[in-house]
Amino acid sequence: MIIIAAIIIIAFVVGISYYNRLIAKRNQITNAFSAIDVMLKKRFDLLPNLVETVKQYTKYEEGVLTKITELRTKASSAQLSNQEKIDLDKQIGTAVSGMMITAENYPDLKANQNFLNLQTVWTESEEQIAAARRNYNFSVTDYNNAIMMFPGSIFAGMLDYKPVQVIENAPEERQNVSAKDLFNN
Amino acid sequence: MSDFIQDPGLLGLLQELDKDRLNIVAGQRKAKIVMIAGGVLLLIAVLLGMTTLFTLVPCVAILIYGFVLKSKMDFPLKLYKDTFKQKIVATALKDIDPSMVIEPLNGMSEEEFKASQLFTTSPDRYVSEDQISGQADKTRFYFSEVKAEYKDESTDSDGRRQVSWDLIFNGIIFTADFNKNFIGTTVVRPKNVASTLGSWITKALSSFSDKQVVELENAEFSEKFVTYSTDQIEARYILTPAMMEKLCELNRKSRGSISLSFIYSRVYIAFPMDHNYFEPPLKTSILDSDILEKDILIVRFLYDVVKELGLNTRIWGKS
Repeated sequence: MIIIAAIIIIAFVVGISYYNRLIAKRNQITNAFSAIDVMLKKRFDLLPNLVETVKQYTKYEEGVLTKITELRTKASSAQLSNQEKIDLDKQIGTAVSGMMITAENYPDLKANQNFLNLQTVWTESEEQIAAARRNYNFSVTDYNNAIMMFPGSIFAGMLDYKPVQVIENAPEERQNVSAKDLFNN
Repeated sequence: MSDFIQDPGLLGLLQELDKDRLNIVAGQRKAKIVMIAGGVLLLIAVLLGMTTLFTLVPCVAILIYGFVLKSKMDFPLKLYKDTFKQKIVATALKDIDPSMVIEPLNGMSEEEFKASQLFTTSPDRYVSEDQISGQADKTRFYFSEVKAEYKDESTDSDGRRQVSWDLIFNGIIFTADFNKNFIGTTVVRPKNVASTLGSWITKALSSFSDKQVVELENAEFSEKFVTYSTDQIEARYILTPAMMEKLCELNRKSRGSISLSFIYSRVYIAFPMDHNYFEPPLKTSILDSDILEKDILIVRFLYDVVKELGLNTRIWGKS
């Protein structure tokens, strides 16, 4: 009788522990994405200043600048899902990288201190977002492992927890492209 | 002999130093002979039961004379070592980079050693010397020889207290400005049984510790090191995939497994070594010795760390 009671108590404690651990891992993913979100916002806030500075020196790049402004408006207006935010950031990243390369053709712009500062802050934000994404992906993998492995899978079924997709890094992040190459400093 | 010693003045100094070395060796040998003679005479007197004042005093006097002779060699020996470091090693350093200087009596302070958080044990006996500093392009760096030990006290079955000194670290600690800004602390330690157990405990009790284990994607890096940090994202900001590869490469080139810490916007790297660098030879001639080549090799290796880790790439708002 005592043995059966002990087994039930142990099973109950282990069950609660697993249940709490799954919830903690799930919350960890939300936390990790919040970190990306904060950094994305910081990055998007750089855009108006960057566009204004570039506009003063370039005459023939209206198309690129307009596209960046549009993307920025989209990023700040609507209620976007996590995936949409990531996709938007990818598009903005590609557009700004193109703009930075174009800046090479404008010596006055390249020498502008404000532009140089913005370039530096932009690079820093790229690296910080990459780090935050890697942290998010780690949290997702940790959570996915927990809900797919026994006995976590039982609780995951009860809680209707589904595997979450990791954020695929942009090809340049996989290669860990140097910002030096990007800006050709 | 290394190529940098082409200067006739330097060659003259080396020849003079070699004469000093021979005098020191001769002086030490004489002191040793006198001390042995005094000791042997004292032993014979005691064994033969001739323990009168008349026999003991001369023996002790000979022993004391031996000690005096030995201590008379201490100053020339110190001068010989200092001249070697200040003139010969210093010239070799300038040949690598004109900004490099050696301060034989300076080293990493014990406070900085503790603050670097490279090691978990606090030292009870600490020595550091031969600090070499310089600037490789934009990056200021310095490194010193460090020996840190802790006292291990135990009591045997008879109740006697035994004290032994265990090594925390012996080698060279290198530090430089890191090329990115950060505010937290990230520590990378070699993976062994103790650190694996430590990381397991830290993970299990993560809410009680200021640092968390950071699990990184690079398989080789994770196999060789355990990483702790106060900030998971900042740790990944510092340890980018490229940086992890560079650190694995640096670890392969080092004799022992390296430890690193990223703290106060600086990087600290501990290279375990069992050789005492920048010391002049006593038993062999300075003129035909290869010992300086070993010193130059290690300085070049440490100087290249700045380049190998890309610490001069300042595109992250740190100039």
